[in-house]
Amino acid sequence: MALLERSEWYDYTRMTNWTPKFVSEEEVFPAMHSGMADVPLSVFDSYDEPYKISYREYVDVQRQKDAGAYSVKAALERADMYNRASPGWISAAKLHYGGVPVVEYHASLMESRFVRFAKAPGMRNMGCFGAMDENRHAQIQLAFPHEYIDKDRQFDWATQGYRTQNWGILAARNLSDDMMMTRDVVQTAIMLNFAFETGFTNLQFIGLSADAANAGDYSFAKMIQSVQSDEARHAQLGTPLLKLMMENGHEAEAQRMVDISFWRTWRLFAVLSGIPMDYYVPLEHRENSWKEFMEEWIIEQFERNLRDLGLQRPWYWDYFLEDLSEEHHGQHIGTYSWRPTLWWNPTAGVSKNEREWLEEKYPGWNDTFGKAWDVVIDNMANGRMEQTVPGTLPVICKVSNLPVVGIPFKTAKIEQITYKGENIQFGSIVDKWIFEQDPERYCRTQTIVDRFLAGKVQPADLGGALQYMGLGVVTDPADDSMGYSWVDEYRPAAAE
Amino acid sequence: MSENVATLKPLKTWSHLAKNRRRPSEYEIVSTNLLWNMSENTPPEAGQGLAMDEWHHKYRYGSPLTHSDWDGFRDPDSLVYRTYNIIQDGQETYVENLCDEYSSLEHDAGLAPEWLEALEAFYTPARYPLNICMMNAGYGAAFARSSTIVNTWVYQAADSLRHLSRLAYRTAELKKNHPSRRFGDSEREVWEHSPAWQGFRELFEKSLVAYDVGEHFVAFNLVAKVAFDETLVAEFARCARIAGDDLAALISDSHMRDVERSRRWSRALVEYCVEDDPANKDVINGWLEKWVPLAERSVSELLLILPGADATAANARARKFRNDLGLDR
Repeated sequence: MALLERSEWYDYTRMTNWTPKFVSEEEVFPAMHSGMADVPLSVFDSYDEPYKISYREYVDVQRQKDAGAYSVKAALERADMYNRASPGWISAAKLHYGGVPVVEYHASLMESRFVRFAKAPGMRNMGCFGAMDENRHAQIQLAFPHEYIDKDRQFDWATQGYRTQNWGILAARNLSDDMMMTRDVVQTAIMLNFAFETGFTNLQFIGLSADAANAGDYSFAKMIQSVQSDEARHAQLGTPLLKLMMENGHEAEAQRMVDISFWRTWRLFAVLSGIPMDYYVPLEHRENSWKEFMEEWIIEQFERNLRDLGLQRPWYWDYFLEDLSEEHHGQHIGTYSWRPTLWWNPTAGVSKNEREWLEEKYPGWNDTFGKAWDVVIDNMANGRMEQTVPGTLPVICKVSNLPVVGIPFKTAKIEQITYKGENIQFGSIVDKWIFEQDPERYCRTQTIVDRFLAGKVQPADLGGALQYMGLGVVTDPADDSMGYSWVDEYRPAAAE
Repeated sequence: MSENVATLKPLKTWSHLAKNRRRPSEYEIVSTNLLWNMSENTPPEAGQGLAMDEWHHKYRYGSPLTHSDWDGFRDPDSLVYRTYNIIQDGQETYVENLCDEYSSLEHDAGLAPEWLEALEAFYTPARYPLNICMMNAGYGAAFARSSTIVNTWVYQAADSLRHLSRLAYRTAELKKNHPSRRFGDSEREVWEHSPAWQGFRELFEKSLVAYDVGEHFVAFNLVAKVAFDETLVAEFARCARIAGDDLAALISDSHMRDVERSRRWSRALVEYCVEDDPANKDVINGWLEKWVPLAERSVSELLLILPGADATAANARARKFRNDLGLDR
């Protein structure tokens, strides 16, 4: 007899539910943590994780993955990626590193709550690997940008960002606190593992990886693919839970969690992935447009997943399909205009060639978003720089915490309601709907503008606001990544 | 865009590590200052005032175990994910080779009937408390006060899953070699009904709901887990050797290395807290007074069914660990 196959002993690792005697079941699995309080503990024994791995296999595979990723890093440090890459790619990398690693770190806290509070033994075990995975993702995505800190201080946002009140950070924190940190483990797993991870992380991790490789940043490409190979495993821990929800009278709750999560994630990724893919990544290195990625990686797969599980497409699907060609273009103009408030130097991405590409990928772009850029470019080309940064406060959505945008000169998507005497504004009908599902969850959120109006930002001017958001503290206020050299082709002299 | 508030100097490392004036380690670069929910002053951006927020206020920020700088804690092993896997892959390769080797020698077939009975009553039912060890470490990770403390709990949770997995493996192997016995079938019944186990069951169930993060750390990592490890790892290994079950002894020795790591960071955390505020020692001693008697009773009751076991020695070792930290019991 040699070694046993995993299947011969695996079930013993998850036959671990018992009947508490010295404390009550409700104390061990409080409803606020464990969820589905009306469903008996024994029902959760049938939870069957689709992607099985043993501890022994895990440490072996993960050791090898790290050896691969870190050796590429070591080799490429010598290749001096930072000084060779285009400014646009550096913009994308900084946006990523400032926004992503610390959220991944908090996902390891989320997975640790699964370890403690999941009623399904298989989910507790998978949560343990998930917590390890997310610990890895934080660490590897801090180790890599640390190599660039002596070249560019903006990489410091990878660790300092989430301790600031930067508006972009507040938006990412709001989504994470809502979907990942403050709900019971069942709702959390549906929102994060099912909708967010199986739905969206492919975008950032496969889509951006392809662009990174094309742009010559092989260490980023390799690292991010390695991260995604973990996501592909632990993302699946929500699926068997969805089945249990469908079988035990929790269909409506499951659908609501999916609908909320899909929209919130979509809107955040429009900034995090949408802007870099269509504007920052150098034209010659773009694999696909953001919309094409969404259609290929998200829409088809996610729709199929939902159907297989007996769920419906979110009720706002048609509205979402329209948003695909709008939201990130609007957010790009917004973030670029408010560039001093960013932790990365943004790339405009609207040279004449790039505009041709945008028009091809998004027919009508030149007549809509392009017109707004015409105004910006005209001011820049004629030396009126002070007019290229807004002088008024934007409207911020109470749910997404992102500026409310729309098609310039056409549609403003602003929605509002009055709740407890307060006028509350939203960036879409869906954000408003999300608020209405649970107003108490969102009503105490203070957007960056709420804080400004409440006198929390002092002095109450641009300098004070920048300081409040970490600019001039962590790094200097940001500016165009190319020093406006791209404007030259539009200057009057160039036209003559 | 030239109205800069200030022009900041270039950095050699993360700004929060720059003041140390030395090159930071890989551990510091990837492990420090990562939490965004550090204190009452950093409420959640959504869900403020709801049940989970209240939980943080009551059990994290409200704990009597305090520190003025939780972020300053450092794991004495400086363990990071990358090195954890290197170390544990090495250990698992070793243990897997042991299992392979002993299997080819038909080790299980040669075990004495009295020892097989002990394995059935004492060893394989341990998967239930081992699952609770993992659950408890998960709680520690989810609600710890700094990222450096979170990480030690995350790796400890994985260690528990390691132990649980090897136990599951051995359960299947013993069942295969001794089909007439109840390996794999009787563990839940033993855990829930055997009088010898009820002390540990009470201790472990209660430790699960010690939700105050300070008390949870003390009740579990300084008391319940120490009692468990002295009984189910150290004492078990000693008795296994006497009974001729070298395989069990060698596997346990390997788990003992994980146990020692847990104790190193637990010791460091106690020292870190007491150094910051000596009143923390009284707080910890207060919790020990509440938890140690139940733990010692659990050890004594369970070791009655392990041939050759010495409960007094096991409890003395557990006490020595705490006494060496300057704690009362």
